[in-house]
Amino acid sequence: MLTFKTYNRKKTVIYSCVMVAMLVCLMFRLVYIMVYESEYLGRKADEIHERERYIKAARGDITDVNGNVIATNKTVCTISVIHSQIENPQKVIDLLSEKLSMDRTRVKELVEKVSVREKIKSNCPKSIGDEIREYNLSGVKVDEDYKRYYPYDDMASKVLGFTGADNQGIIGLEVQYEKYLKGKDGYLLTETDAGGIELENVAEKRVESVKGNTLRTGLDINIQMYAQQAAGKVYKMKKANYVSIIVMNVNNGEIKAMTNVPEYNLNSPYELTDEFMCEGEKEQDLLNRMWRNQCINDTYEPGSTFKVITATAGLETGAVKLSDTFSCPGYKMVEDRKIRCHKTTGHGSETFVQATMNSCNPVFIEVGLRVGVDRFYEYLGKLGILSKTGVDLPGEASVIIHKKENVGQVELATMSFGQSFQITPLQLLRAVSAVVNGGKLITPHFGVAVSDCEGKLIKQFDYKETGGVIRKETVDDMRYVLEKVVSEGGGKNAIVEGYNIGGKTATSQKLPRNSGKYISSFIGFAPASSPEVIAICIIDEPEGVYYGGTIAAPVIKELYENILPYMNIDKSY
Amino acid sequence: MTENRSKKRNKKKTVSFFDYNLLFIIIFLIGFGLVMLYSTSSYTAQMKFDNSTYYLKKQVIAYMIGFVAMFVLIYVDYHVWEKIALWIYIASLFSVLVVLTPLGVSFNGARRWINVGIGTVQPAEIVKLGLIIFLSFCIDRIGKGLRKTGVYLKLMLFILIAVGMIFLITSNLSSAIIIFGIGFVMLFVASPKYSHYIYTVLAGVLCGGLFLLMETFVLKSFRLSRFNVWLNPEGYAQSGGFQVLQALYAIGSGGILGKGLGNSIQKLGFVPEAQNDMIFTIICEELGLIGALAVIALFVFMIWRFMIIANNAPDLFGAMLVVGVLAHISLQVVLNIAVVTNTIPNTGVTLPLISYGGTSVLFIMCELGLVLSVSRRIRYEE
Repeated sequence: MLTFKTYNRKKTVIYSCVMVAMLVCLMFRLVYIMVYESEYLGRKADEIHERERYIKAARGDITDVNGNVIATNKTVCTISVIHSQIENPQKVIDLLSEKLSMDRTRVKELVEKVSVREKIKSNCPKSIGDEIREYNLSGVKVDEDYKRYYPYDDMASKVLGFTGADNQGIIGLEVQYEKYLKGKDGYLLTETDAGGIELENVAEKRVESVKGNTLRTGLDINIQMYAQQAAGKVYKMKKANYVSIIVMNVNNGEIKAMTNVPEYNLNSPYELTDEFMCEGEKEQDLLNRMWRNQCINDTYEPGSTFKVITATAGLETGAVKLSDTFSCPGYKMVEDRKIRCHKTTGHGSETFVQATMNSCNPVFIEVGLRVGVDRFYEYLGKLGILSKTGVDLPGEASVIIHKKENVGQVELATMSFGQSFQITPLQLLRAVSAVVNGGKLITPHFGVAVSDCEGKLIKQFDYKETGGVIRKETVDDMRYVLEKVVSEGGGKNAIVEGYNIGGKTATSQKLPRNSGKYISSFIGFAPASSPEVIAICIIDEPEGVYYGGTIAAPVIKELYENILPYMNIDKSY
Repeated sequence: MTENRSKKRNKKKTVSFFDYNLLFIIIFLIGFGLVMLYSTSSYTAQMKFDNSTYYLKKQVIAYMIGFVAMFVLIYVDYHVWEKIALWIYIASLFSVLVVLTPLGVSFNGARRWINVGIGTVQPAEIVKLGLIIFLSFCIDRIGKGLRKTGVYLKLMLFILIAVGMIFLITSNLSSAIIIFGIGFVMLFVASPKYSHYIYTVLAGVLCGGLFLLMETFVLKSFRLSRFNVWLNPEGYAQSGGFQVLQALYAIGSGGILGKGLGNSIQKLGFVPEAQNDMIFTIICEELGLIGALAVIALFVFMIWRFMIIANNAPDLFGAMLVVGVLAHISLQVVLNIAVVTNTIPNTGVTLPLISYGGTSVLFIMCELGLVLSVSRRIRYEE
């Protein structure tokens, strides 16, 4: 029998040593992977194990000036099913179709669909979600979620705007103040197996969500409601296209109310209101029209209310004095054009105060021409007509006006009584505010302050104010004249018992001039001697009587009758 | 008293020996392997079969049969096998052919198993044992004749028949490599020469290189991507790199001390079939670098015991049996750990005594029985 020779033994040792050497190399390889690459690989592994579930943050509230909540959140539920976890499909279908009052076949279809997770219904009321949860059926998931909720439905809808599916602001204040309102999402890190099933007994990392900040606006729900009511009434009565009202603190630009009737329900912004139910038009176009804020997004020819600006420019530049007398033959020749007064027989001889009360076009043409293009434009600039107001809402329209170098006598003449250019209602309101508040050009605004969800003040908004744009004498003259317009002139219908109101009416013909369509408006402030509040009412395409003094002034009168006492403005007499 | 005892010893002159060290390592590795198998497979077994001990039970049964086989082999004189070595070899090759019959069973698209009624058996494992016994028998007969190139090539032919059958019939490259390795190591140890083996290695390297080149530029086949995956597993995370990458994540996330027994997350379906080839990665993840190095150290110790037994074996046949088993186990350990650490391209090799696999368990227990049987014959003078 052969035996193991020395060379056999040697070779066995050689082979064994080679193998052991290889294993030692592999040990070093392991040290490299498990010590030097450990952190990187471990992190990579965690990435595939961890599932991040977002905890949606509640959006901040919006309140009115007194802290009444006008936009908040409501807890709603999303009902979904996880196909692989359903044990009793029949029971699930029965329960869901009953509780959610959904079509059985539709629910059956969704429940039987082979998918990881199938959403049955979202935005269910919390009560229904709770009921379904109590049945504790495996495979049925009820997730709570926040939905934006507007307690006053259609109040100031075009100002507030609404949010989209991910709770992000889409239009209005909701989008303007997105960065303050939006909360900080939290998240839940859980570990899962390769199939995505969450593991129990593994520590979860949980980062709570933070609710968004509260935005306090200058809106006052009472004033807003009065304004909306008044606008709604005339909207219906005059079968108007729309009626806008803005109420603003004349001294600091805080907007107390802004309405454009018809408003829409903020809790269902995608449902067209009756007014917009038109066949043959794209739904999206109709929705965009429904959401439009005419006070800011649209421009119009202001007409006679603009005479306030012309008069101010005239008084400021010394082109005219209150005592100056004029003669109105019913028209005025400018170059080769004959521009008519609204009273075709003419107002005859009148002082400037009387001409303003009469809203006499030829006189204002005369004043405008005396001021001249350069100085006229200078005052347009000073009173903020040539630039945007800077209001804190998206989509503010720009003024449409002749370039200064293209303005001849005719253009200047028409501009003097508010035609041949277009501005937004808010721009006019700002300009008139500057005239009557003592010469301070303010920035109209809604947002006042932002505080966190516990009420701690985070930020107080400052808005640009430019003082001294008008001399004090002119301010006094204008207050006097405009008070006269209401007490004795074309604005008589705006007289409020016990208060001195200043104001100016307007009746603008819409383009084209022969269309027979008008915009009636009235701008009024109170008290006339030291104004605190200013309001404008615009009635677009009223039917029947269309004079601003007849239909728009009473709207402001009614509004002021309600809000002046509410605002604790003392009666003058 | 003392006189009596020394007299007795002098009379016998030699004492019988049994390698309890090796037996201890074997039992320890099996116990450890079962714990790790349960830890690794319980979650997926629960998900797949609704029975967390599905894999564990089958493995325990395999070990029970394996222990019986091992103890029978320990107490049977191993020279018995010398007499029927040729038949064992032929029978093992025959088992490979059975795969082609309707008894053949496919898993995951590879036809590598045969159905024996109570379960499936992988012929590649049978061939490993058959080849070890047959080559030991041949070497014992030929002795120094192995010096001649002709004889060397003749024996090499026997090895290549087995290798070829496994590779072509069961298309199992990794088993073919292991079988070739076993045969090559046995011939290397048996022969007084070095040149044959150096040439063979060179030829092997050359063939392998040509094979790879051909695949890379002509066939553009599956092994091409395997090669690319090896170089850059993260670039192929969605295709071939998935398994390797998950293995690396498991090993890496273990760190020095590991996550603790049972706390692996990678075993929850991330590392595919973790209880098979990839079980070492879960050991790394749960027991950390310390545990992984300890396991390797146990195998080093085992290799050392094999070497001692081989070098003290009473005859060439016994020694060669031990060398064959040494080659088998050491090659699989090295290849397995090299694969899971992405040191070499991925090829499916199980970790002996720890990975799940009934046939592998049974036949490795038989091989260890042979080794212990050889150790029992060692006589040393007092």
